[in-house]
Amino acid sequence: MLQLWHASSRYRYIPCNRDYLNESQLRRIQNELAVVGALVVLALVTVQPLVVMSQTADSLQARFAETIAMVHQAESAGATPSEIGALVALLNKALELNGEALKLTAPDEAQRRAELVAQVDQILMTVENRAADLTALASQRSYANRVLAYVCGVIAAVLGTILYAFTMSFYRKYRIKRTFQMRVTRK
Amino acid sequence: MSFISTQNRRTLIVVFITLLVVCEMIAYVATTPRPREQFFQLYVLGAKRMAADYYPNNDTDIRLGEPVTWYLGVADNMGTVQLVSIRVKIGNQTIKPPDDQQGLESPAPVVTEFIRFLNDNETWETPFVWSISDAVLSGSATRIPVLQINNETYLIQDCSASNGHNFRLIFELWTWQTETNGFEFGWAAGGEHRVAWLQVWFNMTSPRLA
Repeated sequence: MLQLWHASSRYRYIPCNRDYLNESQLRRIQNELAVVGALVVLALVTVQPLVVMSQTADSLQARFAETIAMVHQAESAGATPSEIGALVALLNKALELNGEALKLTAPDEAQRRAELVAQVDQILMTVENRAADLTALASQRSYANRVLAYVCGVIAAVLGTILYAFTMSFYRKYRIKRTFQMRVTRK
Repeated sequence: MSFISTQNRRTLIVVFITLLVVCEMIAYVATTPRPREQFFQLYVLGAKRMAADYYPNNDTDIRLGEPVTWYLGVADNMGTVQLVSIRVKIGNQTIKPPDDQQGLESPAPVVTEFIRFLNDNETWETPFVWSISDAVLSGSATRIPVLQINNETYLIQDCSASNGHNFRLIFELWTWQTETNGFEFGWAAGGEHRVAWLQVWFNMTSPRLA
């Protein structure tokens, strides 16, 4: 017999058809629901370690993605290849440790795996911090270099103009001097 | 400035503005990074790190347990740090290779992959020592179920070739895409999608009987 139930309140059930349940049937259904609930709780507790492991791997991938983005920001800000190279070396170390952690699948290696994952996390945090510092430093340096270059351009233009003015002045004086040194001769 | 006439003053202003424009243009060019071609290089070298001697005794027929030494290399010329993955796949003559035009990967099974961060202008090279741990002859087809690469064992599913001829190892270059947060076959440069892949053929004509 298929029973469809609507729960309009916590204690009041209205059956969809005209077949009503007696108390013993209700009690049996309650017992069955209690057993199902207990099984669901038990399953969730049992599966929890697997879920945690999966979240760890996912969160690490997300962390790698965040770290790459931060390193790219540092590069865009104008960090030098040697500065970025140090970050890349750390990232490769993190990759290596992550690879080692992924190989540890046996239950007795769980602790070692957790240690490696923690190390990877620590390295990624270090890289993120350094990348953030580099971004700030490199952007300031790039801005200063750009301003310096433009100021040098203005100074060069001023110096060039002064040089031009003096050159023209000397040239005119030379021409005047030469003009007064001219002699008029009869042909 | 009384010694400068009005006409000379105008000339000096024109000279100053001209010099200012030229100098500022030079400053702009000096401080702006020049766009350059973005690309990766992927290569496989033989045992002597040259594009030769890919097979022991120059025999393309690889025996069971016989180690084959190659060197895999990838160079980053993208102008930025890149996370790359070289995916190693094994296939036979009939399986599709990667599609250069469509930028599609090969459907061959992945055996392993090498992941590495590369700095701009960096070349990374790693030894690739592999051997066939097991090969089974069933009917006229030779199947390779186990492959050993860099002292690690890899189980392979569904890789067989008729009479053990024309197996191939395919190397595909995958790159991390920050937009999608995942690896993609090839890379995007200049509004185009480009791919890099290689394949090396070999035979396995001395399997054990099933």
